[in-house]
Amino acid sequence: MKKMLKSLFVVCVAVVMTSTLASAETLKVGVQAPITGSYANEGQGIDNGTRLLASQINAAGGVMGRQIEVITCDDQGTAMASAICARELVNRGVKMVIGSYTSTAAEAAQKIYYDAGVLQTSDGTADNLTEKGYWTFLRNSFPNSAEAEFAADYMVNVKKYKRIVVLSDFSTYADGLANATEAAIKKHGGNVVSRDKIKADSQNFTPVLTNIKSKNPDVIFFAGYYSDGGQLRSQQKALGLNADFIGGDANDNPDFVKLAGSAAQGAYIINVPSPDVLPYPIAKSFISDYQTRYGEMPPSIWGLMNIDGMRAIIHAMEQNNSFDTRQAADYLHNMEEPLPGITGPIAFEKDGNRKGGAYVVKKIQADGSYSHEYVQ
Amino acid sequence: MDIFLQQLANGLTIGSIFALVALGYTMVYGVMRLINFAHGDMVAASAFVGLTVYTQVMGQATSLFSVIVIFLLTASVMACVGVLLERLAYRPLRDAPRLSAVVSALGASLVIQNGIMLIWGPRMQIFPELVPQVYWDLGGVVISLIQVIILALSLVLMVGLYLFIEKTRMGAAVRASSIDQDAARLMGINVNSVIALIFIIGSSLGAIGGLFIGMYYRGITFNMGWQYGLYAFIAAIIGGIGNIPGAMMGGMLLGLFNAFIAGYISSTWADAFTFILLILILIVRPTGILGERVAEKV
Repeated sequence: MKKMLKSLFVVCVAVVMTSTLASAETLKVGVQAPITGSYANEGQGIDNGTRLLASQINAAGGVMGRQIEVITCDDQGTAMASAICARELVNRGVKMVIGSYTSTAAEAAQKIYYDAGVLQTSDGTADNLTEKGYWTFLRNSFPNSAEAEFAADYMVNVKKYKRIVVLSDFSTYADGLANATEAAIKKHGGNVVSRDKIKADSQNFTPVLTNIKSKNPDVIFFAGYYSDGGQLRSQQKALGLNADFIGGDANDNPDFVKLAGSAAQGAYIINVPSPDVLPYPIAKSFISDYQTRYGEMPPSIWGLMNIDGMRAIIHAMEQNNSFDTRQAADYLHNMEEPLPGITGPIAFEKDGNRKGGAYVVKKIQADGSYSHEYVQ
Repeated sequence: MDIFLQQLANGLTIGSIFALVALGYTMVYGVMRLINFAHGDMVAASAFVGLTVYTQVMGQATSLFSVIVIFLLTASVMACVGVLLERLAYRPLRDAPRLSAVVSALGASLVIQNGIMLIWGPRMQIFPELVPQVYWDLGGVVISLIQVIILALSLVLMVGLYLFIEKTRMGAAVRASSIDQDAARLMGINVNSVIALIFIIGSSLGAIGGLFIGMYYRGITFNMGWQYGLYAFIAAIIGGIGNIPGAMMGGMLLGLFNAFIAGYISSTWADAFTFILLILILIVRPTGILGERVAEKV
């Protein structure tokens, strides 16, 4: 019996030692993204992209000799699941977290990563994400206020719409973008005839659209996600409401066109340029690797923005020659020379916002493809 | 006036989908005194089955013939699933306390929902445009072809079901079983086959409701059954659960409430106001609008 206990003890010690040795050798990277639910398409894009980049870095010898280990947690795009994910990833000892896709989910996890000193890079565009003073948060996209300004200028000064409806759902991102756009339209002297809200995922938008129709608008600006946007466009046409439709950045997804069907034609979407027109050599090679590995194009630019965020953090660690997250954040906040990225040069402001921002207006053609209408 | 009529048309369309689904709840409750929580997920599953029939069996054809085949095949498949569900999840618990059967129903709901996710994946799937996007402008009120189809087919099915239950011998057997199963058995009615029959009818109607959801809204997700199931369940209660015309009426009312409240009060508060109205109805008539005031069996 004693002998057995002794051998058991030895086995235990051996297991503990090998596991600590093994974990010391990897750099753990968390992915927090909506792998299931309405935004699964985008979430899987972020996960696929992160794993592709990790395997490329690992094949080239890893980060300062350490292999990257990717740990994925599904937050379904919701605040509740997001907080659970954040705790799980922190407990598993990640150094950085890529994601999440929605601002709501990114916001719910921020504090947990901040308290744990884990770097978080998200494409969430809600302005308030960077207004909390968390040094751990690095936005890899451009904030809503930049897009709102561009959208308002386009609607009021370029298209000269007289009667504008602003529509959003209740999420952090959509409500923020819609409010910022409404304010920017008023600043430019435009006329917002109605500011309405829909419940995401509720599918039946005809009551709201019927109301909007009675206001006789020239254009509906929809801040919200593609899963609702496509259905809104289709139901708008079905009601004989012939106003133009302009979708905010989160409508830029192939599913928008599929959902709207033949009604998609003529709808406008405002976003940064699509993955397939990115002019940078690094973008072309990464996207072709992505296609080889997964047999499809990245679902949208958002996954690639997140990949750029991850590349920037790893770049900072290598420059500092340290895995310390505080030092990496300091490096990124004070970068002078931007890092060439898949989605353009990437560098950060002191508050964690990505520098720059360039938007385009895309018009959906009869075959579902985009034509670039207007470039900032 | 235009807006009123437009909201009326919108409300009736979504209301008839709720009504079709509510019939499944009310019929099962009528005979078995069981809330079949898996029904909403069966509705979601049927939209996915319809999608698979479209891509695999019909080779993505969108002719009238293809639409008919999709409806018939999907309804048959879901009828089989419904019977199987009753055999596996409910029949073994027929004599068990009611709570056990409710837990079994909730479990079946999760199994079906996760089954859809495993088979078809967690991503939103896009239902094909089976019916061309054709609209008619009737003096300011725009009605689409798909709305006409949904309304007409739902009405035909509901009238057919009503006649079947009221005028045929099998219908009489269903009514008898819902009043008293033991007495029905003594009268020579095979209660097991009556129960199988209501699962066949309820699941097929639910399947058609699911296909309508796919055709009307186009985006289908594995977890959408919960939302439609909840609405239809409430529609069944409003009409008086166990009562077939009541479920039809409850579904229509719920659809209309939702449309008018979203249209005239606030889309933000549509759900809250709808449910406040429904609570008021239940305070006045606790057994639902058409529900009988029956003494609880002791």
